[in-house]
Amino acid sequence: MILKKFFSAIFLSILAFASPAQVINKEPLSPRITGYRIDARLDTAAKLIHGTMEAFWVNQGADQVPDIQMHLYMNAFRNSKTTMYRGSGPAGDSTKWGWVDIEEFKLADGRDLLPYMHFIRPDDGNPHDSTVVQVMLPEPATPGDTVAVKVKFVTKLPSKIRRTGYNDDYFFVAQWFPKFGVYEPAGMRARVSGGWNCHQFHANSEFYANHSVYDVNITVPDDYVVGTGGMLISEQDWPDDPAYKTQVWRAEDIVDFAWTAWPGYAVYTDKWKHVSITLLIPAERKDQVERQFTAVKNALEYLSDRVGPFPWPHLTFVDPPMKGSGAGGMEYTTIFTSSSAPMMPGWIHMPEMVTVHEFGHAYFMGILATNEFEDPWMDEGINSFFEARIMDHYWGERSGMVDHRLLKVADKTSARSSYVYSPNRQVVSNSEYSWNYPLGTYGMMSYMKASTWLFTLMGIVGEETTDDIFREYYRLWAFKHPGPKDFINVVNEVVSKNHGDKFGPDMNWFFDQTLYGTGICDYRVAAFNSFRQDTSKVRIQSGDSIVAGKAVCDSLYKSSIELQRIGEVMLPVEVLVHFSKGNEVLLSWDGRERYKKLEVLSGSPVKWVKIDPEYKIRMDVNFINNSKIYETDMVPVKRIMNKLLAFLQFYISAFVL
Amino acid sequence: MNLFKALASGLLRTGKAWQGAIMIWLGSLLTASLFLLPFRRFVRSALDGSTITERLRDGIDIEVLGDLGAGFRNLITALPAGMFLLVLLAVALGAFLNGGIFNSLKTPQKRFSFAEFFSASSRNFWSFLVITLVIGVMIYLLSVILIGVPVLILTMSGSGSEKAPFITVIVSIIVFVLLSLIFQLASDYARAWQAAQEKPACFRAIGFGFRRTFRTIVSSWIMMLILFLVQGLFAWLSLTLIARWIPGTGGGVFMLFIVSQVLVLLKCVLRIWRYGSVTSLMEMKNSLDHKPSDATIQNTQV
Repeated sequence: MILKKFFSAIFLSILAFASPAQVINKEPLSPRITGYRIDARLDTAAKLIHGTMEAFWVNQGADQVPDIQMHLYMNAFRNSKTTMYRGSGPAGDSTKWGWVDIEEFKLADGRDLLPYMHFIRPDDGNPHDSTVVQVMLPEPATPGDTVAVKVKFVTKLPSKIRRTGYNDDYFFVAQWFPKFGVYEPAGMRARVSGGWNCHQFHANSEFYANHSVYDVNITVPDDYVVGTGGMLISEQDWPDDPAYKTQVWRAEDIVDFAWTAWPGYAVYTDKWKHVSITLLIPAERKDQVERQFTAVKNALEYLSDRVGPFPWPHLTFVDPPMKGSGAGGMEYTTIFTSSSAPMMPGWIHMPEMVTVHEFGHAYFMGILATNEFEDPWMDEGINSFFEARIMDHYWGERSGMVDHRLLKVADKTSARSSYVYSPNRQVVSNSEYSWNYPLGTYGMMSYMKASTWLFTLMGIVGEETTDDIFREYYRLWAFKHPGPKDFINVVNEVVSKNHGDKFGPDMNWFFDQTLYGTGICDYRVAAFNSFRQDTSKVRIQSGDSIVAGKAVCDSLYKSSIELQRIGEVMLPVEVLVHFSKGNEVLLSWDGRERYKKLEVLSGSPVKWVKIDPEYKIRMDVNFINNSKIYETDMVPVKRIMNKLLAFLQFYISAFVL
Repeated sequence: MNLFKALASGLLRTGKAWQGAIMIWLGSLLTASLFLLPFRRFVRSALDGSTITERLRDGIDIEVLGDLGAGFRNLITALPAGMFLLVLLAVALGAFLNGGIFNSLKTPQKRFSFAEFFSASSRNFWSFLVITLVIGVMIYLLSVILIGVPVLILTMSGSGSEKAPFITVIVSIIVFVLLSLIFQLASDYARAWQAAQEKPACFRAIGFGFRRTFRTIVSSWIMMLILFLVQGLFAWLSLTLIARWIPGTGGGVFMLFIVSQVLVLLKCVLRIWRYGSVTSLMEMKNSLDHKPSDATIQNTQV
């Protein structure tokens, strides 16, 4: 009872400091489970952040919770034996370590929690890793209780920026403060019993957190330009030293608060509908500004249309300078980092791609706050899928990545290529914890394979249904923590609504093979032949589909088409048969048998056959054997070879003095 | 004026040694084909029987290349080593053929004879190879010093303008190209001198090449610059034409082959023009050096 009263009092004080009144949005977008008020001062010489933090966590489950668990991500940079460095290989000799030290840890009533604090290693038991801390509470938090803590900490930023750190006077500050793990009640993300989800920092992992409110005061030298994921509320001189300034930032309903400070930033602003966009970019990269804004606005438009509205009125993105390039390509919902270079030619869409991708994480991880540790495909895979769609939609179906007259590369091509050409594409399924992908397959599996099978899913159910799936996914799961089963349930529901039982009672068969399976998909046209028929004995016959064709009785051909499923994955495919008189027939095959013979009747013999003529089944690891023709058109090959020959002759002539 | 006389003379000499241009072109065709034919055969056999080539109609399709499978990837992996060997072969072949070319460009000019051409080629081969390799290494070191070092310093320093490394690279490349012309001149003078000698003396030739280059640096360098610009412009136009031309029929592809090879041949002709011009300039200078002065003539008369 005393505890209840205590927590109630604390909760009231929390409400006072955590601004019950919304500042950015009129209504909270997410339940207020955690919140942070942080005072941070950047010591640019010592590369330290001196911080004090008041934070709360509300027990929204039905369990009594005896502890709290927090991430101390910065300790991943503490020594060369941390779990992160074990995964990534040793740090360079010149690396300056990073760490976070807790100097005080108290309950809001002043009771000291430091004696009850100890490091835990839930993933690997590595004694050198101190990225997760467990603090035993004096009394368990009962359902509805709020645990409020005051923490004084010092964060030392690492050199050699890996997402976070410093280089000279450049700072990108992420994963810098003690941050609550996610307490998952039973039933959440298919969890059997309640418990903390608080993983260590791994080389190949990102993050997982509750949507929170952040009130952050940042004190930096006057000449530093600061960008954060929040909205700037006010700025004033720091009372202790007028050479410093303190900025007050507010962020609502985001899962992480990161910021950057550097005197060399030029600040550009633009607007898309209700969103004020700020770009921090080195002043010398003025030529990159317009393309960066175009990219982010395209992404905003596409994702708002096809997934759901972007709910914040502010967005900041950063194009780090060369010396801060290690911070490039990372996302913190309302602030993200892109990656361009001075004088980058316009036909290379790499900066646009990075911008579109990292912005996309505002949806797939930011709004739909999946567990990036455990289900990396749900943020990286889905986001890569949308990145490719956006790039190819706005920058050309064949030229989303590279648009040069000599070479065009679509974004979806690069994703498929990474998966298809990987020798390790079958070593593990797509459903693994991020640090469990062996042989360096994390990126290929969680980004590229997932994107490729999502394209395949779209090829099967159609683009419209795919968009419906993601709109429904957003509607049901925005500002929550969906797991794989939740996504699959949405797919099943929408596909069933749009297509009935065309694909069976559900789409589990698809996910069993693509997400949970390790098989490959490869279909092949083995052979075909056509024989003129004795018209007096004609009998219409076809394979799985009804063949629509006119039986012209004075010239009728019976054609046999032999198809093969070489891979393990079974997907429904279309088969296009082209006849020598130019007419075509589109057949469908459920793709289940290892060998399938189709027979068609037509007024002319078959000229060629194609499985999946529109290349919708992008998981198919070999498009070349998807078709068969007696006489291949080698003109394009000869042309390319002739050009290569001439280029080679010019090339070698350069070496002959 | 000597400069233009030399260019004109070089052009005339090239016209008289056109068979040499054919030989160089043929050499480059054979060398490149040696490299490309297995690749071509592999690609053709991999794509045979498929309609996928329709995706190559507008240009290279990365997905199609990738789907060629492990064999293709192995070929790509072996590409750098293959290219290195190809360049070595081309350098050796170039040294051989240039021996004949320089011989046929010197005065007194005789009617071009293949027997004489190959005789000179074999006679000059080792000298020319050494000259090519020594001066090639010098040019390589020059590139490292002029391009690599400044960029490395700028990159390592990690401070200053972001555009500085890019601008430095561009400026360094321009300076490198302009300075490398001196080394090319030296190699041309060295070979022209060697071609006029009966016995191989490659290091003396290199010495002569540099002496002559620096003694006539202004006229020689300007002439080389003109030739370089003409050759560069021609190469750029040729490559652009070849790259942009996308014939869709067998006849068109055959035309592409013919035109592209004619362009390669013309590139060879331009190179021989350079050799001829340098040879001519050297001979002009030699004749001036050996022309008796008026005082000498008067003394002789007395």
